[in-house]
Amino acid sequence: MTAAQVLFYLLAAFTVALALMVVLAQNIVRAAVALIFSFCGLAGLYLLLDAEFLAAVQVLIYVGGITILLLFAILLTSRIAGKGVRVLNEQKLLSGLVAVVLVVLLGAAVRRGFPALAARPPQPENTPAIGELLMTTYALPFEAVSILLLVGMVGAIYLARKEPR
Amino acid sequence: MRRGATRHSLLVAGKSGRTVDELIQLLAGMGLPGLLAQAAGMLAVCAIIIGYIAVASMFMIWWERKISAHIQVRLGPMRVGGWHGWAQSIADGVKLLLKEDIVPTAADKLVFALAPIVVFATALATYVIIPFGPGLWTKNLNIGVLYYISISSLTVVGIIMAGWSSNNKYSVLGAMRSAAQAISYEVPLVVSVLGVIMVVGSLNMEAIVEYQSSRMWGFFPGHWLVWGQLVGFLVYFTAALAECNRLPFDIPEAESELVAGFHVEYSGIRFAMFFLAEYANMFVVSAIAVTMFLGGWKGPVLTLGFLSPGLAAKLWGLFWFLTKAYFLIFVMMWLRWTLARLRVDQLMHLGWKVLLPIAFLNLGFTGLFLILKDVWWGS
Amino acid sequence: MDAQAATALPQGIEFERGETAEEMYVNMGPQHPSTHGVLRLLLKLDGELIKDCIPYIGYLHRCHEKIGENRNYIQIIPYTDRLDYLASMYNNWSYVKAVEALMGVKPPERAEYMRVILGELQRIASHLIWMGTFGLDIGNFTIFMYCFREREMILDLFESVSGQRLNYAFFRIGGMPMDFPETFYNDADGFLEWFKGRLPEYDRVMTDNIIFQRRVQGVGILSEEDAVGYACSGPVLRGSGIRWDLRKNDPYGIYDRFEFDVPAGDRGDVWDRYMVRRLEMEESARIVEQALAQIPPGEIMAKVPKTIKPPAGQVYSRVESPRGELGHFIISDGTPNPYRYRVRSPAYVNLSALPAMLKGCLVADAVAVLGSIDIVLGEIDR
Repeated sequence: MTAAQVLFYLLAAFTVALALMVVLAQNIVRAAVALIFSFCGLAGLYLLLDAEFLAAVQVLIYVGGITILLLFAILLTSRIAGKGVRVLNEQKLLSGLVAVVLVVLLGAAVRRGFPALAARPPQPENTPAIGELLMTTYALPFEAVSILLLVGMVGAIYLARKEPR
Repeated sequence: MRRGATRHSLLVAGKSGRTVDELIQLLAGMGLPGLLAQAAGMLAVCAIIIGYIAVASMFMIWWERKISAHIQVRLGPMRVGGWHGWAQSIADGVKLLLKEDIVPTAADKLVFALAPIVVFATALATYVIIPFGPGLWTKNLNIGVLYYISISSLTVVGIIMAGWSSNNKYSVLGAMRSAAQAISYEVPLVVSVLGVIMVVGSLNMEAIVEYQSSRMWGFFPGHWLVWGQLVGFLVYFTAALAECNRLPFDIPEAESELVAGFHVEYSGIRFAMFFLAEYANMFVVSAIAVTMFLGGWKGPVLTLGFLSPGLAAKLWGLFWFLTKAYFLIFVMMWLRWTLARLRVDQLMHLGWKVLLPIAFLNLGFTGLFLILKDVWWGS
Repeated sequence: MDAQAATALPQGIEFERGETAEEMYVNMGPQHPSTHGVLRLLLKLDGELIKDCIPYIGYLHRCHEKIGENRNYIQIIPYTDRLDYLASMYNNWSYVKAVEALMGVKPPERAEYMRVILGELQRIASHLIWMGTFGLDIGNFTIFMYCFREREMILDLFESVSGQRLNYAFFRIGGMPMDFPETFYNDADGFLEWFKGRLPEYDRVMTDNIIFQRRVQGVGILSEEDAVGYACSGPVLRGSGIRWDLRKNDPYGIYDRFEFDVPAGDRGDVWDRYMVRRLEMEESARIVEQALAQIPPGEIMAKVPKTIKPPAGQVYSRVESPRGELGHFIISDGTPNPYRYRVRSPAYVNLSALPAMLKGCLVADAVAVLGSIDIVLGEIDR
């Protein structure tokens, strides 16, 4: 049992537990905080896969951007000490069954599709490699994404501005 | 650009985590099994870093009181511990530890307890990449600067958690203001740092310092990036002041404004953690500025007779690094006690409409210059 | 789950729904570090914009005028100190001048010179406190210490003269109780020398700083018509462009013998009021210098009876205090106690112009604008 395996199981358990808390928490802000930590767990898993750029960007964008956005939205629109919402409804059993079936199917698909790697081939340094790919092979999707972001920003500013009286 | 470094399978390794690896090998040599040696080594380094943060924060708090006093024609702490009240911070720390821990009744206890931990942990986590000297780092990550940027964005999360869990409307508003300020100034901070990265060609902290190592005319540090990237340095320093919530950007902490700060409901050791985290952050920000713009640990090395060259290099490196970092911290404190506070809308205006365009222009000109340099003088 | 609840006030503070969903009432004070005393400001906000402001005063009311009716004329003098406790000399002066007008008594030359010297030094001290606390509100902590350092020197001067640092009761009906001590002239000259070099220092720390200028320029504008309409006086009136100073326009005592300018602004914003006070400090130093050079030897007290019983009549007498026109209205009915004793407090009247100044300001400016009026609650509430 190498250290890598230990770490992997710990991180995976951490991430899954927190993800469950996101879904099952009574308090919406607790759910958001659990989401933050599960994203951090995911970043740890990326690190184990030697994808360090992705891990850093995961923290920067998901945790430092998207969850902040979520928290702002929650704080601005909900009562401070709000009562919990009803999390589970009558279809508990059916949804649990569907979730288990989905896990089994996905697990089987993953095992079938990806044979175990004996040794991981050495990876080039992440950041320059990704940079080169984005600027050469995938330049068009890169530009398309930036236009999409621009459209999103303009839309947000337009929606949020005060109506001139 | 350095490519193809050999990589460990477990940890993200840069060129070398020399001192830490040496420590781990030392422990392994003493008979501990591999995994335990690694764990023990990592724990030891962690303890050193936490110890450093504690001592440095206490020193900085005392130093701030002394600097503010002398700027204001006063003396500052003079009695506690004898010489110029050097033990004042220790006394304050003990007092905070002994204070009653008040938790508001309707506060969310778990999040209330977690918030200062998150804020302090992120401040601590950014110490991983700080190069105190040659080989004196916790881990020389390949994504050095990017790691710092992403971890520092976690502070905002802690602030919002603190504000929300206090169950106080003014706390929530204060936390949101603080968060808005932090994320607004993160963008110019990142963009100003990008200029340096473009020039050096790597995110690795050691590479950035090595780039600035040559001297002009024998002694002048002509290749410090602060000369070439002066605009970037100024933008970075301003944005860093705002990230640390220091005057002139201390709206979240100013009690003479209408809305109180996000940590108003915290007392005792929890408040102490916010306070320590702020000073730890100040040091990190200065350390990054020193590494990226002021040449890191590079400085004249004098081998006194009894020191081996390796050890001398390390000690002098540490000395120069700390000197430069504390000089920048001194400038931060100097600014705090001289300038007035910016109003919230003026703060936002400065961040988005002044610093960000300047940072982008800096980035653009840097890129242009690099390309033209290749074209005219060949790569 | 409504948007209002998230930004509403905590329990225990009443608020009303405004006309639009965004309006709300927010309380500033009475316990607030920046309201300079116990003042409560109810601000009607529309988001960050201030739509209206209602000052609630009376927290420091001490029945000063009623007490005045139950004391004889000499006993009232120590009470007047406590009105505007940051400029005590002027309270004394205004009251004593009123009773002297009722009785037809003229104080001797030397007493008049002493009054001018002490008064102008008091003006400098009052403006120093104002500048220090104003800077503190804006976020500049250092200027507070610098101003108080100079004020300490003035207070030492006053202590050597009257034995008191703050509430002097040093004026008497008909003159002054004691002469200056021997050390006073050297100390005063020393202070003036020292002070000359300090004003440029304040400018370097605060006035010339662009962050400070951005905070105060264009904020809290009081137009000329409003300033006159609200009966403002002192630096508030002069900041709005009207060059009216009682020492020049309605001179009392021996002010017509001194050469000094009266600074005035043009726009009526916080910056103008700040600059007026900043320049007034220089002018006051000039006056003290001239008075110290010209002061004649002689008597310091005119001939007045032991019991002061002014003839029946009424008088309104005013002086130019650091805050504006400080007036005393006294109706005497021939008895040792006044029949009616009324104080016209400049800060009270200037504060009434605050809603006009705050229109269109942001919440964050309220502190700066309030500071620029220079209020003292002791005088406002009496």
